[in-house]
Amino acid sequence: MNDPAAVSLDAARYPWLTADAAALLTWLHETDTAPRFNHHCGDRLTAEALARVKTFEQQLQTTPPGWSPAARPAWLPDFAAHCLATVPFYRQYGLPPANFADLPTCTRADLSHAPWAFVPDNAPLDDLIVYNTSGTTGHPLDILSHPEAASKYLPLLRAALVTRGVTLTLKELGQAGGRDPATGRLRVALVLVCFQRRTYTYASVSAYLGGAGFAKLNLNPDDWRDPADRARFLDACAPEVFTGDPLAFAELARLPLRHRPQALISTAMTLLPALRAELEAHFGCPVIDLYAMNEAGPIAAATPTGYALLQPQLYVEVLDAAGRPCAPDARGEVVLTGGFNPFLPLLRYRTGDYARLAYVGGQPRLLDLEGRPPVVFVGLAGQPINNIDVSGALKRFALPQYRLHQAADAALTLTVTPHTAVALAEVRAALLGLFGADQALTIVESDPAVAPAGKVIQYTREAA
Amino acid sequence: MELEGPPLEALTRRLAECPADFMAEPRVGALGQVAVAAVVADLLRDLGGPPLTHAQRDSFQPADAKRYRNWLQLVLIAAWLLHDPWFQSQTRFGAAAGDFLTGGLAQISALTPAASFVSDPDRREELVRLVLREFGLRPAGESLAQAQDRLTTLSTVERQRVIAAAQKAEERARAVRAAMEKQAAEEAAAQYSRE
Repeated sequence: MNDPAAVSLDAARYPWLTADAAALLTWLHETDTAPRFNHHCGDRLTAEALARVKTFEQQLQTTPPGWSPAARPAWLPDFAAHCLATVPFYRQYGLPPANFADLPTCTRADLSHAPWAFVPDNAPLDDLIVYNTSGTTGHPLDILSHPEAASKYLPLLRAALVTRGVTLTLKELGQAGGRDPATGRLRVALVLVCFQRRTYTYASVSAYLGGAGFAKLNLNPDDWRDPADRARFLDACAPEVFTGDPLAFAELARLPLRHRPQALISTAMTLLPALRAELEAHFGCPVIDLYAMNEAGPIAAATPTGYALLQPQLYVEVLDAAGRPCAPDARGEVVLTGGFNPFLPLLRYRTGDYARLAYVGGQPRLLDLEGRPPVVFVGLAGQPINNIDVSGALKRFALPQYRLHQAADAALTLTVTPHTAVALAEVRAALLGLFGADQALTIVESDPAVAPAGKVIQYTREAA
Repeated sequence: MELEGPPLEALTRRLAECPADFMAEPRVGALGQVAVAAVVADLLRDLGGPPLTHAQRDSFQPADAKRYRNWLQLVLIAAWLLHDPWFQSQTRFGAAAGDFLTGGLAQISALTPAASFVSDPDRREELVRLVLREFGLRPAGESLAQAQDRLTTLSTVERQRVIAAAQKAEERARAVRAAMEKQAAEEAAAQYSRE
């Protein structure tokens, strides 16, 4: 790879690159306040792939996601039959059953073991790309994907914005030649902020956004020539939307940023309601909690009535441990069928996340969504305490990240990323209110800038 | 195959007319409808055999639907075939049927959808001939050599198809892995949010 700090206009990264977009990319790399980028990444989008992304965008606008409580989506039988006929992993199941619910489920372990077995026989391999992910289990997983699938995130992010009433026009998001009126330069539409010890960072431009810019940044001061450049560079980029996780947004809120975005989109970690409210007040815009994963992309966006689904061709079930559909409103594992990744058609894929499926206005919503299987803690009086109750007790605190562990002797350890607005004594009182006044509880503060990157397992309990 | 059994056509016709109950979804864990172990237990009793052992019963109640669904479907289809009145009237095939259903179908169910043994004439004939051979029988009216030749022909053709399919699948998996390795040396496409 050529010097990541220097601009690269490689045709493979940008098969469509225009002079305007090249100028923006150069500026992103060479402006005085730019960070020390450590990677290059383009959208790799050919004209044909771009056309398909735009068709997908139209489909999002014309085909609302969801289905009625009485019937599964009409596309489901054909999709399942196609999977069983063309995808090596699913072919071992035999022929499609009469009842969709009799199809076996598959797991992250299946995918991790043989990701190539999920690639349909007829999928051309020319544009295959690979994302490595560690997830919360620490078990690495290779996700095979396609530049087209990567760019389909953008219309899905727009759909997520719409759920909170943010209806950015394509021009505002940078598409169709949106320009900064002050400089005449193409705009930077989107910035993904991270705050961790180390992560890939890069500046890029997007064909789907008409050449507008995108940057992935690490707010860790070590990534910058001068820590004060973080705010300067972001003000100069002035993105319409920030994506990131709660830890990064908490750090973003500490910067003396003059720019105010149209929205923040939070993924990857639990966003507690108090932190969301604080961020919304600080930035003066909606903060949208997005349920997304590498295997399926953006799945649903949090709304006041639960997580609203985003993809028209993604069927979401909630199943019990035995694989049976849960009763309406009962909590179970989120299981996905469909998706938009041509190298990973999902057929009853167990996500490892748990939620209730309810219908609001006749459309499905996910409620009480939490990653990882339920954990039942034990209180001082021996009372069982569900992790949902712990989340409920902590929801009024603006903790960017936390995890709670109960040892075999029932002692609790709460590890938190500190936040100025949160009095840990109050956090302690809230947990003791749940577990019992004399419950052993240690609160440990962690530094996100030196902690390992990525998701954490929120709740754990050691067998007694 | 020393002994003469029933006419081939009677048994292939029986397979072609396999009723919906035996084509229904086998129960794996909490899913499916048909308890395969119970069907096999009834069959062995009707064939005059010993009851299912615990190990046999367990083998028909696997937990992993991904690996065993197609095999269990084929067990049900074969159980329907073995319920033929001719076999029942002999009252001596129970033990052999138990062995056949437990271990004799895994290979042919690995790459052939179970329903093919009902819908495809060659697969019907192959399954019938496999059953007869397992019981030391040959179809009525055939010599030993004829019966062996025909089963060999059917099995060879199918085996070649299965081998070719397996080779094709392995070549494809190799190609995907090679594409993964090639891409790993390059960068992926930009990702617009964290997951």
